[in-house]
Order: sequence, then structure tokens, then C-alpha cells
Amino acid sequence: MRAMVIDDSRAMRLILRRILSQLDFEVTEAGDGAQALESLNGGYVPDIALVDWNMPVMDGLTFITEVRKRPELRGITLMMVTTESEHDQVVRALAAGAHEYLMKPFTPDAIEDKLVLLGLARTGASA
Amino acid sequence: MSTLVAPFQEDLEAITADVWGSFLDVDGDTPLVAGAPHRWAEHDATTSAVVSITGAWQGHVIIECSARAARMVAAALLALPEDEASEDDVADAVGELANMIGGNVKSLVASPSALSLPHVVTQPGSHQSWPGAEEVCRIDGAWNGEAVTVMVYAGVNEGKS
Repeated sequence: MRAMVIDDSRAMRLILRRILSQLDFEVTEAGDGAQALESLNGGYVPDIALVDWNMPVMDGLTFITEVRKRPELRGITLMMVTTESEHDQVVRALAAGAHEYLMKPFTPDAIEDKLVLLGLARTGASA
Repeated sequence: MSTLVAPFQEDLEAITADVWGSFLDVDGDTPLVAGAPHRWAEHDATTSAVVSITGAWQGHVIIECSARAARMVAAALLALPEDEASEDDVADAVGELANMIGGNVKSLVASPSALSLPHVVTQPGSHQSWPGAEEVCRIDGAWNGEAVTVMVYAGVNEGKS
């Protein structure tokens, strides 16, 4: 499985990379939505993208909207991982095309649970 | 639409404990302890990270800590030795802490509101001031013996209705 972590914080990208690597994901990173789109345009298509909301250049909601406009990218599962926790924001993200939503701070178990829910990991895969 | 006008002290304590427990105190043996003694001198460098909330509620969420505490945060989040944490590493890591605490504070105040990207500065000595805003809650604590303060400031017209 391939995962793309899209977050402007290097620390957060590293934390997610560590968790995903333990779940046997091959992980790539992007610092904002525009960088991530560039990577997709270059032919790298992950199974899942974990997307922060608040980022410079292109935010996560815009990124998700752009990805969902393109039928050839519909196989990518999109999960928001963000501090934006109000109900209205969750609804906006899901309406734009996100499959799942996880609030920061999170635990490794919470990431694993979401991936299991999405059918991208097995229960206890990191054990 | 939320009706809360300002976060309460217990909200800030719960949010901060949650962030610490997830990323800086995973094993539960190095919590941020409110009111605990810590090493602090007026001439020490202070690292401050702030995120601002604008919209239906206006205010700031601020983390101030000793430069050593800031390096320890970077070392913990980036999994590297403390003496290898660069200024950029420190800004990134402490900024992300402010982002997480600020985002959770934003969920408690009136909506719609927006959260800014974090701004981080390290400067010697005195703490920063926030004109046009007043403190509504704060945690003065120690983490591994180093000073860490988390504060919420509200615009002067917030929380008075």
C-alpha cells in the first residue's frame, strides 16, 4: 500500500510517516496541496492521502476538491487529519470528497483504526 | 452555531494534556505539570508560538517556553537528539503544538472562525505582549524541569457579553 502525507509541518509528516511505515505503507510526503498535486501529475498515485487542512499555498480542502474533479484519481482514498474539529468543517470536508476525518491530536491506534475502517489495514497490523 | 464566548481554564488544561499525551508524554512519565518548579531566568531566550483565531471570535493561543524546552519539543517530535534540532526544526515543532492546541480551542468558541498558520519567534528575555487582547486562561508549568506556558488571549470585546 502507498500513502501520501500532506502537511506543512515536517514534524507532523514524520510522525505520520513513522506510524504508516509500521503498518507497512510506503510513504511519500508533500508540504502543501500544490506539491501533492504536482506529485500526482507526475504519475505517483497513492492508495491513500492523509491531508492537513490549514496549509500555505494550497489548503487541504482545495486539494481534495481538485482531486475529486479528476476521474483518473478517484481510486485515491482521502482522509483529513487536522485540528479543524467543528461539525461544519467535517461536513464541508466530507462533502468535498474526503472519505474519513481524524482530528489532531491523534494516537497511532486512532490512525490504525481509521485505516482498518477504510479497508487499507488489518486489525493489529502494527503489533 | 457555538455560543461559548471564551474557553475555560479546564478546557485549556484538557486540550494541552491531550496534545502532550499524544506526542510528548506518550509513556505518561513526562507530563506538563502545572505550577511545578522549573528552571527560568529573565535573560534566557524565550520561544513563542502563536496562532490567531479570527471571525466570530477573536483571540490568540500562545505557547511560550524556554529555548531548551523548545529544542526538547523538536527532538521529541522529530525523533532526533536535542543538540541536532535546528532553528527550523524548533519553529516547525513548537508551531505545530500551537496549531494543535489552537485548533482545539477554536472548536470551543463562536463559529465561524478561522485559524491562522503558526508564527514562531525566539528572542532573549522578556515575554511578548498582545495589545488589544486580554488573557482568559493560562497554564504555567514545567516539562522535564523546563518552563512552558500556554495561554489564551481574547480580543478585548470578547467574553464580555
